[in-house]
Amino acid sequence: MNLPDPSTPAAIRRFRTRLLLAMMLVGSAVAGLTLVLAQHQLAATAARELERGFQDQLDARRNLQELRHAALVERCRELVRRPRLHAALEDGALDLLYPSAQDELRDVMEADAGGRSPEQAYALHAEFYRFLDRTGAVIPPPDPRAVGALTPAEEVRLALPALPDRQQLGYLARAAEDDGDRLNEVIAMPIRSSETGEVIAAIVLGFQPVAPPAAAAGIRSGVWLDGALHLPALPAAERAGVAAELGRRIASGAAAEHRFEHLLAGGPHLLFFQRANPGSSYAPAYEVAVYPLTALAARQRLLRWQVLGAGALLLLAGFGASHVLARRLARPVEQLAEDSAEQRIQRARAEAALESTHEELQRAARFSADASHQLKTPVAVLRAGLEELLARDHLSAADCRELSALVHQTYRLSGVIEDLLLLSRMDAGRLKIDFAPVNLSHLIEGSLDDLGALPDGLELGVETDFPPDLHIAAEKRYAALILQNLLENARKYNRPGGRIRIAARLEDGRVYLTITNTGEPIAPELQAHIFERFHRGAVGENVPGYGLGLNLARQLACLHQGDLRLVRSDATGTEFEVCFRAAEPAPVAVEGVA
Amino acid sequence: MKPARLLPWLLLLLALGAGRAAAQAVIEGRVALPAGRRAPVVNQRYEVVSKGGVMATNPPLAVVYLAGDFPAPATPPTATMAQQALTFVPLLLPVQTGTRVAFPNLDDTYHDVFSYSPAKRFDLGRYRPDERPVPSQVFDVAGLVTLRCDIHEHMRGLILVLDTPHFVVTDAEGRFRLTGLPPGRYVLKAWVDSRTTRERPVELKAGDVLRVDFP
Repeated sequence: MNLPDPSTPAAIRRFRTRLLLAMMLVGSAVAGLTLVLAQHQLAATAARELERGFQDQLDARRNLQELRHAALVERCRELVRRPRLHAALEDGALDLLYPSAQDELRDVMEADAGGRSPEQAYALHAEFYRFLDRTGAVIPPPDPRAVGALTPAEEVRLALPALPDRQQLGYLARAAEDDGDRLNEVIAMPIRSSETGEVIAAIVLGFQPVAPPAAAAGIRSGVWLDGALHLPALPAAERAGVAAELGRRIASGAAAEHRFEHLLAGGPHLLFFQRANPGSSYAPAYEVAVYPLTALAARQRLLRWQVLGAGALLLLAGFGASHVLARRLARPVEQLAEDSAEQRIQRARAEAALESTHEELQRAARFSADASHQLKTPVAVLRAGLEELLARDHLSAADCRELSALVHQTYRLSGVIEDLLLLSRMDAGRLKIDFAPVNLSHLIEGSLDDLGALPDGLELGVETDFPPDLHIAAEKRYAALILQNLLENARKYNRPGGRIRIAARLEDGRVYLTITNTGEPIAPELQAHIFERFHRGAVGENVPGYGLGLNLARQLACLHQGDLRLVRSDATGTEFEVCFRAAEPAPVAVEGVA
Repeated sequence: MKPARLLPWLLLLLALGAGRAAAQAVIEGRVALPAGRRAPVVNQRYEVVSKGGVMATNPPLAVVYLAGDFPAPATPPTATMAQQALTFVPLLLPVQTGTRVAFPNLDDTYHDVFSYSPAKRFDLGRYRPDERPVPSQVFDVAGLVTLRCDIHEHMRGLILVLDTPHFVVTDAEGRFRLTGLPPGRYVLKAWVDSRTTRERPVELKAGDVLRVDFP
């Protein structure tokens, strides 16, 4: 499969780095997200705090107004109980109204009246008061100085379209002598008849505007009224701009979103505004608070750095943790990589060994083949030379015998060389069997003829038992070689006067040929080795042969997809069995050629 | 209770009228009075109420009078508006212009009767039951005068100052009878409350008994 990777450690390093990078990326993303969220949260909290400050301021003002309201309700109840006030209102004596009410309202107009706390006194100290008649118009006082002087224009602005059913909160901008901008908080209280409960008049009181303590440093608050901003802490030039912006926002109905940023001298400011007198019949007034954002921005900057520092530390710790984690996670993978590398090496080694073995085998086979070829020619030359010598007339009988023996030896040598050549071809896998139907019966008969022609003194008896025209799938010359070898062996190793039995039978598509001789039995410990090369058993040296025959026969049988085996070897005889594939006889026309 | 209290005055008036002359005319009839208003329980004792700035008695009473050009009386007539059980008695007192009205205190406590009405502004100040002489005021401008007590905020009384000696307060059903009237053409008026005065021209002949109903 894959070639062994020479850069395995590098690959593991890469893997580890990638793992680390991925973890760091995830860690950074998480940390970054957390930081962004935290920053947002903090910014939102800061803004909320400012808004809460504004609300607190509003609430403080409301509380004071509530206090005033409660005190005034009581005062009105008292007032309306006065028969003179009723008389003044109901009997058409409005000119007597103010004198009648004067005593009742004296403590309201005099700051230090009674034993009140300064705050209560402050809350209840009115600068002026006026009564409204049934139409909501201001009843002019006979002596304005006693009830707080107002210009006619200011007095008109205290009027209401109708008598209010409940208290109304308004603001009155008044021209002051010094800075030209004074604002009064105005509360209109209905006066109900104690008799019928109907509203018979109203009293309007003007108070100093409540200035609650600032909720945070640098906050300036004021009131927007009728397009003008009454915020003395702001320079007049900037006031106009803010007032215009506020007017735009209020007119566009964006009052619900009651804050916005505005650029003033000294940086951006956050402005809050909220209706100061919701539901009132008086002109709408808006509570306005201006917060310099510079301090907030500085705080946020500091906060951001702190958050960033913390984030960096966090990230660093995260990186460390990632590193450790990546190492730990990569370890099994490394192990796996190492193991596989080792396996790869072992396999490569085995493959190399196999390769070299194969090569050696090839080389050995080639060597045998080459040697055999090289030997064939000199043997032939030798035999030709010997036969030529033998043909000479002047040789003695003894010389002739010796020369004949030598010629015979050259034949043996040729046989050995032939066998070796064949074996080496088989070993090299170069021998291909050219299968064709072969008539085994004819082949056996032919071999027996040859056997009978051999000159020996063994006096062997031959038995045959095979059906005629038994066909096998084989290459004829190799089948003949197997048969010849087996018969040769049966003859060679037989005892004098012994028998050779040749039998063949067809069984399950295979042809079994058995050749039995009655020679000495093969020792059981040697039976396993009789098919090895150059093994000749414990036979005497006088027996011709060189121990290649059985080996060759078996290899050829195997190439024929058959086998050769020793069936038995005992006192009754030694029996070999070779099996072939059965074959249908070839067509008649072809048989004539075979 | 109230008709019973009014009865002596009516009888007095009738006796006066009967004693003058038989040749004088009489008007009788009925004024349709507005439905009595049921005041809230806590205010049950108010007998003169103002609703939307309108003064009226409760239960409603009307004053029927003959408007015309009558000569001033030779001697200033007198009338009495007592304070009894923290109420004005009577609740509604019609008087002729120039009448001196005495304000006797019949209770065991102080009273401080005053009026801010345009027809008569006065303030009697605090006075005890045994104050002598009995505090009094002359009413010489025609109009409605609302009486109040500075001490008892619920006390209300009405004095209707008229330029005529011929007037009568109806009973609770609105019935009235004016006697001793001089023949001639007049306008008969019925005061129902401070804002409502109905009128009807009448021609009186000596000895007539005229029937006039105010719807």
